[in-house]
Amino acid sequence: MTSHAATGAIDHHHDHTTSTGIPNKKLLMWAFLASDCMFFGTLISTHLIYRLHPPPGNPVPRQIFDIPLTSFSTFILLMSSLMMALAVNAIQKGNLKSMRFSLLATITCGAIFLGCQVFEFNNFVFEKHMTITNSILGTTFFTLTGTHGTHVAIGVLWLSLMYVRSFKPATGGQPWVATILHVVALVAAVLLSMKVVLSIVWGAEAHGFNAAMLGGVAAAQWLAIVGAVIAIVVERWLARPTGPVQFDQSNAIDVESMGLYWHFVDIVWIVIFTAVYLLEYL
Amino acid sequence: MDATVKTHFIGKEDKTQAKPTFAFWRPTAKTGLMSWLTTVDHKKIGFLYGSFALFFFLVGGCEALLIRLQLMVPNNTLLTAPQYNTMFTMHGTTMIFLAVMPLGAAFFNFIMPLQIGARDVAFPRLNAFSLWTFVAGAIILNVGWFLPDGAPDAGWFGYAPLTSKLYNPTHATDFWILGLQLLGVASIAAALNFIVTIINLRAPGMTMMRLPVFTWMTLITSFLIILSFPAITIALVEVMFDRQFGTNFFEVSNGGMPILWQHLFWIFGHPEVYILILPAMGIVSEILPTFSRKPLFGYPIVVFSGAAIGFLGFTVWSHHMFTTGMGTVATSAFAMATMAIAVPTGVKIFNWIGTIWGGHLRMRTPMMFALGFIWMFMIGGFSGVMHAAAPADAQQQDSYFVIAHFHYVLIGGSLFALLGGIHYWFPLMFGRRVNEFWGKLSFWIIFVGFNVTFFPMHFLGLNGMPRRTFTYDGNMGWNTANFISTMGALVLGTGVAIYFTVMIYTFFKGEKAGRDTWDARTLEWSLPNPPPEYNYAVIPTVHARDAFWYEKHHRAEIAQEQAEHHKEEVSHGGIHMPFQSIFPLVASIGALIGAFGTIYHDLIVAIIGGSVLFIGIYLWSLEGAEGYHLHLDDDEGHDAPVTSAPKH
Amino acid sequence: MSDSTHSPTAVLTAEESKFAAYVQIAMLLAVITGVEIAVIGLPFAKWLLVSVLVVLSAVKFMYVIFFFMHLRWDKVFCTILFFIGLILGGGTMWALLKLFSMEASVPLSISLNTIKHLSNFA
Repeated sequence: MTSHAATGAIDHHHDHTTSTGIPNKKLLMWAFLASDCMFFGTLISTHLIYRLHPPPGNPVPRQIFDIPLTSFSTFILLMSSLMMALAVNAIQKGNLKSMRFSLLATITCGAIFLGCQVFEFNNFVFEKHMTITNSILGTTFFTLTGTHGTHVAIGVLWLSLMYVRSFKPATGGQPWVATILHVVALVAAVLLSMKVVLSIVWGAEAHGFNAAMLGGVAAAQWLAIVGAVIAIVVERWLARPTGPVQFDQSNAIDVESMGLYWHFVDIVWIVIFTAVYLLEYL
Repeated sequence: MDATVKTHFIGKEDKTQAKPTFAFWRPTAKTGLMSWLTTVDHKKIGFLYGSFALFFFLVGGCEALLIRLQLMVPNNTLLTAPQYNTMFTMHGTTMIFLAVMPLGAAFFNFIMPLQIGARDVAFPRLNAFSLWTFVAGAIILNVGWFLPDGAPDAGWFGYAPLTSKLYNPTHATDFWILGLQLLGVASIAAALNFIVTIINLRAPGMTMMRLPVFTWMTLITSFLIILSFPAITIALVEVMFDRQFGTNFFEVSNGGMPILWQHLFWIFGHPEVYILILPAMGIVSEILPTFSRKPLFGYPIVVFSGAAIGFLGFTVWSHHMFTTGMGTVATSAFAMATMAIAVPTGVKIFNWIGTIWGGHLRMRTPMMFALGFIWMFMIGGFSGVMHAAAPADAQQQDSYFVIAHFHYVLIGGSLFALLGGIHYWFPLMFGRRVNEFWGKLSFWIIFVGFNVTFFPMHFLGLNGMPRRTFTYDGNMGWNTANFISTMGALVLGTGVAIYFTVMIYTFFKGEKAGRDTWDARTLEWSLPNPPPEYNYAVIPTVHARDAFWYEKHHRAEIAQEQAEHHKEEVSHGGIHMPFQSIFPLVASIGALIGAFGTIYHDLIVAIIGGSVLFIGIYLWSLEGAEGYHLHLDDDEGHDAPVTSAPKH
Repeated sequence: MSDSTHSPTAVLTAEESKFAAYVQIAMLLAVITGVEIAVIGLPFAKWLLVSVLVVLSAVKFMYVIFFFMHLRWDKVFCTILFFIGLILGGGTMWALLKLFSMEASVPLSISLNTIKHLSNFA
């Protein structure tokens, strides 16, 4: 019964402590993750089963995969897990500022991972000519990694909403305009930055990394660049310190449950990285 | 009770908080349509689950009668072959997903929190979301009846490649896919909720080994749901992708393997069988001790057997596929596992017999259904073990023998127990009691009709009649048995009609039942009937396994204890009740719209649906799990709640 | 309900110690990932490399769930709950792969091709 108080987690709905001392939300999340194990277990099985008996003419993964890129995104996801753990740690100590920074870092890492996936899919479809329909490898690969990517995207959205939630003022109700604007600004900042960075990467791939290429990208993507800058400025302005907020240790359980989800997405990737990518190279 | 938490809780009890803004309108209606649409009360949600389930039970029953009428005589033309396909597909899907499962969920919702001494489930709004998503799934599954595409017709296990665009070009199969997908989401959400509730919301003293067996079976069933439904979620996603985007999961020409669908489906499908039967076993384990006036014989063994059945249920899926040619080793392994699962099932049967052995039996209607359950379920179990032997199964596969087997398990098993459970808990739920004569009459007619319908099917199957055949020739030797079977179905239908007529009559005009009508043993019977919104005026403290039985024999001690706890609760701010909420309904409507968008491959509609779903969930999380406090007036007894100002 | 951006110094030190542990674990995981990538190029027997990869991934997996996901410090029931799903999911995966690697499960189209292929050789 003491862990409840130790984590500072207060169950708002029930005014008695839980029978096991584990907060309800945490228990819910662990049960959900147990369920998600079966979900990804089945999905990964589907991919591996079709790898056991590839039909004639199936693409060869070794000629398609890009291990350096995947290793990079694996590393990024690992770092996002670290930042997530730090965010939970911070809010459990009541350190709001540190939690917000860690959440933003987690969001950034998640966005980079998604960007890598966009780059990878793009490359596979247009360069390597593997689509979701033209081969069984494409079907299972895109479905599996796409489902994982969807989990990451949901995670990024959840992180963003939680980050914005941490600005709710202590007095009065929900400031609707500011909240919605903040969510929109944050999501726009993430998406537009992703677009700009991807354009630069593609430009560098085609023409080498030089001033002319950057100029070309700037000319083609000026709208996205301006939008990203505006979104970031708006976000920073909304994130300015404005007095007491309604977000403290008692919200740590919400952040922690979200963190469990995020780490789970990371460990699923640990399995996918080995089972789907590395094993193909043996 | 944790002091720190308590202090904090009281500390938050300041009434100077600003009123929630307009978007956080919290519905407060206690009667009328709005109160039902926004309810978070587990009893109301359970009632709604039950009502929808019984409605669909009647729909599925009508489909079954049409099937039986078509097969009454050889070369019948009542239904065309495609109509017949639709009938057996929808009969199976409806009975499993829209009748028996939600009827189980109705009992989980209504009874389980009462049995553990809780005031609600752990996440009341998630519970409402489960209910409305279930309704959305039911709508999608059945909407085909009213549309030109027709209702699903690929069989309740929708084997690939029958579900491919090639063989099923209309949207009928899409209704099936998306309908099941939504039902899966609803079931998983509900099951997660029940798991947390049982683990975390038990009253003080209610240790795991003091839980009523029905609650134990709820827990095990919930685990089966969260662990088996992901498999069919994936399988449905794969077949949906095949149909919507032209992927190759089950497309043989591009290297797909239709057999994979069978594996994924039965990885879900076999635990699903136990999802249907375990709640029934739980109900029977409540009814038998009450009417035998003895504690359940071998409680720990019954619980452990339930868990063993649950676990083994995941290791036997391929026995549905013995004839697909999996190789000797795999076939033997799954045959062994299947035979092993008969052991814990048999153990339970002996425990139930042990419970009534030497008991002071009272033959009331619920008891009749429970005894019928033991007998009929045993017959279904025996033919089940026969299927475990792979060579025998090769003869029985896809024959009427299998139909006979699983109807003995599902009607003689699940349904008998569920109908008995309705009789058993009816006085608690509605404060009225079903007339014994009419109750017993309906039982006997159902019992006779059921056996006359399904027993001849064993012989039909062994004589070679295949399942899912829309008609047969007169010279096959199947005429007599089919005719008898159809007559039995009509008797069974009459029995069910009497059952429901009596129930509806009792609901409005039945004899009033006193508190604890059956002199029962578990906590829920300590409540007045129907139970008040807050369930327990004072959270009970549990001292023994049959908690209420103990209370009845230690009245003075319990009264003193309750008085003390009542004082404590009042000093902590009274009874905390959750606010009602509209957002679970909004989210479910979003899911419904999104599913329609997906079915018709309409991106705009799908995005609108997704957005409504997202907005529903976001507002649901922003409004917060707030509530208000009830203060029960001591002098007036426990029936005069006074609402205090909304707490933030 | 208050903006608690500044914390007492004592709390800060405790936080920093856990901070350091988390960073160290993350670095360890990154190193393991590097080793995994290096391992696939080594000229050893395939079964050995597969075992090494599986073990390394399992180590990463366990580090994340026991440290980042706090299982180490939580009630043991959380671990049990998650492992129920993990073991069933893993077991189902193992069984499926076994089923599909049996000779009887090789798709007919592929085995026919193999036969044709072999007869070409003959």
